[in-house]
Amino acid sequence: MSPERILLTAVVVSVSYLVVVYTAYIVLVVVGAFENRLRRHESAAEDYETIAASRFTIPVSVIAPAFNEEAAIVESVRSLLALDYPEFEVIVVNDGSTDRTIAVLRDAFALEPFELFARSLFPSAEVHGVLRSGVEPRLLVVDKENGGKADGLNAGLNVARSRYVCCVDADTIFEPDALLRAMRLVVEDPARVIGVASFLTVSENALQTMSEPVGSRSIGWRPLIAFQQLDFMRAFFNNRLAWSRLDFMLCAPGAFQIWRKDVLEEVGGYEPRFSCEDIELTYRVHEHMRRQKRDYKIICLPDNIATTEGPDTVRKLVSQRERWQRVIIETVVHYRRLLFNPRYGAVGLVGAPFYLLSEVLAPLFEVLALVTVPAAVLLGVLDWRVFALVVGTLGFLNASLTAAAILASDVQSRTYRLRDLAWLTVLAPLDLVAYRPVMAWARLKGTWRFLRGDKGWHKFERNQRPA
Amino acid sequence: MGLHAGQVAPVFISSVALWLGLSLLIVVGRAGHDRRRRPGGRTLVAPRRGGRVERRLLRQADSSPRTESGRWRRIRALRALARVNHPACRTLLPAALADGDVEVAGAAVRSLGDVGTTWAVEELVRALQRGVYFRSRVAAQLERLAPAPGPLLVPLLDDVDPAVRFWAATLLAPYPKLGTPALVARAADADANVRAAAVETLAGRRGKRPLAAALRLLQDPEWFVRVHAARAVGRLGTPADVARVVPLLADERWWVRSAAKDALRTLGLGAVEALRETLVAGDAFARNGAAEVLQDVGYVDELLASGRNRALLDQIFAAGGERLRRLALTRAADAPAVPEREVA
Repeated sequence: MSPERILLTAVVVSVSYLVVVYTAYIVLVVVGAFENRLRRHESAAEDYETIAASRFTIPVSVIAPAFNEEAAIVESVRSLLALDYPEFEVIVVNDGSTDRTIAVLRDAFALEPFELFARSLFPSAEVHGVLRSGVEPRLLVVDKENGGKADGLNAGLNVARSRYVCCVDADTIFEPDALLRAMRLVVEDPARVIGVASFLTVSENALQTMSEPVGSRSIGWRPLIAFQQLDFMRAFFNNRLAWSRLDFMLCAPGAFQIWRKDVLEEVGGYEPRFSCEDIELTYRVHEHMRRQKRDYKIICLPDNIATTEGPDTVRKLVSQRERWQRVIIETVVHYRRLLFNPRYGAVGLVGAPFYLLSEVLAPLFEVLALVTVPAAVLLGVLDWRVFALVVGTLGFLNASLTAAAILASDVQSRTYRLRDLAWLTVLAPLDLVAYRPVMAWARLKGTWRFLRGDKGWHKFERNQRPA
Repeated sequence: MGLHAGQVAPVFISSVALWLGLSLLIVVGRAGHDRRRRPGGRTLVAPRRGGRVERRLLRQADSSPRTESGRWRRIRALRALARVNHPACRTLLPAALADGDVEVAGAAVRSLGDVGTTWAVEELVRALQRGVYFRSRVAAQLERLAPAPGPLLVPLLDDVDPAVRFWAATLLAPYPKLGTPALVARAADADANVRAAAVETLAGRRGKRPLAAALRLLQDPEWFVRVHAARAVGRLGTPADVARVVPLLADERWWVRSAAKDALRTLGLGAVEALRETLVAGDAFARNGAAEVLQDVGYVDELLASGRNRALLDQIFAAGGERLRRLALTRAADAPAVPEREVA
């Protein structure tokens, strides 16, 4: 086979991959749009005031593991305590922080130590003690040895008293009605709804963003944050809503996930052996429920319920995303028995293979395309004008999918100002050339680290804030 | 590759046009939304009687649409008419309740809650009986409309359907003067959920019969009934009843032990005497449960502050473990010094 022929084959393979993936994305956008419309209508017809006042609304334990979060923890806990929900408790797990996390909490909420005898249903590192607040009876702080986020969540689960638990990131600031919106479908059908996730936005400074009213919020002019926002919008409105509709919601994000606690007891809680806990747990719950042929639902909602802090430098972003890539591969490889297995229904036949194709194998094809396509142009196998047009087409097709996500997000929550939406739509065509290469690099790095067996946490440093 | 720029160009132009179209939709849609929200912009108001808007809403609310959009138009119309308590709701909402569509029935339930008149309450009670929609959501509307539904709920305690009896017992909680004898009778119901609901509601009543029913259910075969019974005794009982709750600290089910601790905490310092005996019980959980309650009601801190009964303190620390002792000593060290006058 001649080198030109090999090159041409490689180009055809890369382009075919893109065609398959983009076709799948287009189908998901359409399904996601239907799901978004249904949830929007349901939400508009909902009587949130009654849910907020009713004693029949199911109590929730909110668990926030914190590691070196001294800068954000107090505001984050305040936003959790300010949730508009009839009955809930907030459990902050100090996961062996080496900074002043526990001290700032003690000062802000008048914490005092007390002994709490709880069941150790979920394995976790040694708990030094439990502190309760002298000013806020709904707050409990678990102080423990460092063991990672999954370990911290397990420690929180051991002291949680409610039937449903909401596991959140300590650097995330919540809308006051976040729990109300997220629990809406649970309240309706607690026998079937075992898991809920919802859309959240990303910001350089979550606290500042959330201090602005809905409808007047700014994304900021920094393209890095805006591109992450676009990424979140695509992930939720173009993918997860459709997965939810098609019964294979495979990733409840760690920043906000609600689970029925008895299901977590059945599957053994969070698993610290993986680089990240959210996607693995979602896979495990699906596997468990499908094996037992139980009727269940894990739902993703389009409601904007929180703002989480996004990395403000490329280095931090790459560090975060390479970890995400690692855990995706770890999970897909670990649960490979689900792939194309009809026993697991839509999860095995559609969800898991889609993850394999669009996430695990993506770096392989990205590298193939990055090497072979320019080579093909240089060697004259591919006309440079065709190359430019194909890149342009992909860029605008990607921008159109992104625009569909922006539209869906705006129709749903009307969060941002008009000028910010315009800014996002202008940035969308640049995503392919400005943001995707960074993601490709992060994914490649994550794949490489997975192959090396690296399971480190590599949490990104908190963004600098003005004093 | 046999592709020419001329072949790819139309695809490129189509993708640009698609992006432009969607971007325009975003900007125009949002600008329109902002304009409507501005002061003086178009806002939703109550439809004028006999007007075009009212006729449209009535037509939509009375329709049996086949499309998804039509279904949501009907729901919106029902909600809009209910918010202004339109007279047509009297026929439209019962018809919507009887509709096989669960979303339409749900909208009718919420709308009946908005209307809130006597006939709306009666419809909601009927909906609860017939189970046309999630009973928990119907119950939430009836709860919202208290006290009107109260008298209608008592007869439901004798319904043949245990789910109806359960909700009737649960919904009677805010009516301390209604149905106590019937609730006491339901505390012996064949259905465990009904027994649990009855004793939970009885926890808010006064008198010997509710307490007697709760004490009897402390030995119920179902663990969740024991949970509610323990909490009820915590609220209704006196120090004389503590001895009946203490054995539940060693119950086979975690939630019962936890509820027993809650009950003993509620009984406060009145529980101390009975708990002292449990500090040397055979069951380790009962022992440290007793120590935990003594800590939570402030008895441990009080003993430390006063410096009396050192032997009892050692017994509590032995039952509660080293950490309980350490934390109590930490709290005592952190506590502000009590002025001489107060001690005296």
